[in-house]
Amino acid sequence: MKLLKDIFADKHTALVFRMMLGLLFVYASLDKIANPQNFAQIVYNYKILPSFLVNIFAITLPWVELICGLFLIGGIFLESSSLIVLVLLLAFTIGTSYNVFIRGIDIQCGCFTTSLSAKKQGAELLFRDGILLLMSLQVFLFNQNFATLPGFYQKILYRWLLK
Amino acid sequence: MRQRQSSSNILLKAVAIVCVGFVIGILNNAFSERGVSLVGKWDKKAVSDSLVVPHSYQPEDPEAVTLNQALKSFESEQTIFLDCRLKEDFDAGHIEGAVNLPWEEFEQHFTQVEPSLEEAKEIIAYCDGTECELSLLMARELAHLGYQNVKVFFGGWVEWTKAGLPVEKGS
Repeated sequence: MKLLKDIFADKHTALVFRMMLGLLFVYASLDKIANPQNFAQIVYNYKILPSFLVNIFAITLPWVELICGLFLIGGIFLESSSLIVLVLLLAFTIGTSYNVFIRGIDIQCGCFTTSLSAKKQGAELLFRDGILLLMSLQVFLFNQNFATLPGFYQKILYRWLLK
Repeated sequence: MRQRQSSSNILLKAVAIVCVGFVIGILNNAFSERGVSLVGKWDKKAVSDSLVVPHSYQPEDPEAVTLNQALKSFESEQTIFLDCRLKEDFDAGHIEGAVNLPWEEFEQHFTQVEPSLEEAKEIIAYCDGTECELSLLMARELAHLGYQNVKVFFGGWVEWTKAGLPVEKGS
């Protein structure tokens, strides 16, 4: 059990999770950026936002996802970007739960594709969200700014100054 | 190991990141060819009593029918109901006698469905319900291909089953 705890609190684990989450978020953002109309339809179908906010949300969310994904991969503003990812995942989970459990409707996720007739998947989706949530929490808590681009440049700069 | 930043610092940066994403999103949308209006028209419009269509529905689009009209056509047995949803949804349940033509796989499946469409006096396209626009896209495409007798039943599967009308399962 202690070993498991150590692994979870390890900065190397954080690095792996960071890369996975980062790639996932970048990937997820691209199709939405390319198809704003379809993504807006999906956001609307979630029936959570008031209609006047639907388009603005659909236009801007993918860019926040893209930036956070890139920052996670590069290790830039790690605490902040992992915090955003955490909050976004939490919001997605609540949105899906609301539709699956309260409205009892299996809607299109709009997570990775904006295709309006993609497979629906309520329960699987919640399971996946849970795993991702845990991963982002781990990164937020234990990243220790390990193996980041800014750190890498700092090292090079120090070496150059000490020469 | 570096010291952890203060939580207000983390929060401030997070807000800044979100703001940057927001601004880029708005700017990109303004200059993109595929940009959408900032405030979408999402409210349904009622064309006549009990007929509700999505806002994207245009006056020149194929005629929209109410549940009652759809039922009349169903009873006339000269109408073919075209289910535009995915095969899995179709197999799980559809309007009795309906033919499946998933909008996403239109090109692969159209030739199989074509003979029955040619025979029918009237074609009524439907999908899930008013949230779903596949039926409208399908009807537009069929009208474009030269079918004159195409209609859309926006109430779709949801309204049909709510009314307890005949359904069947399987392909």
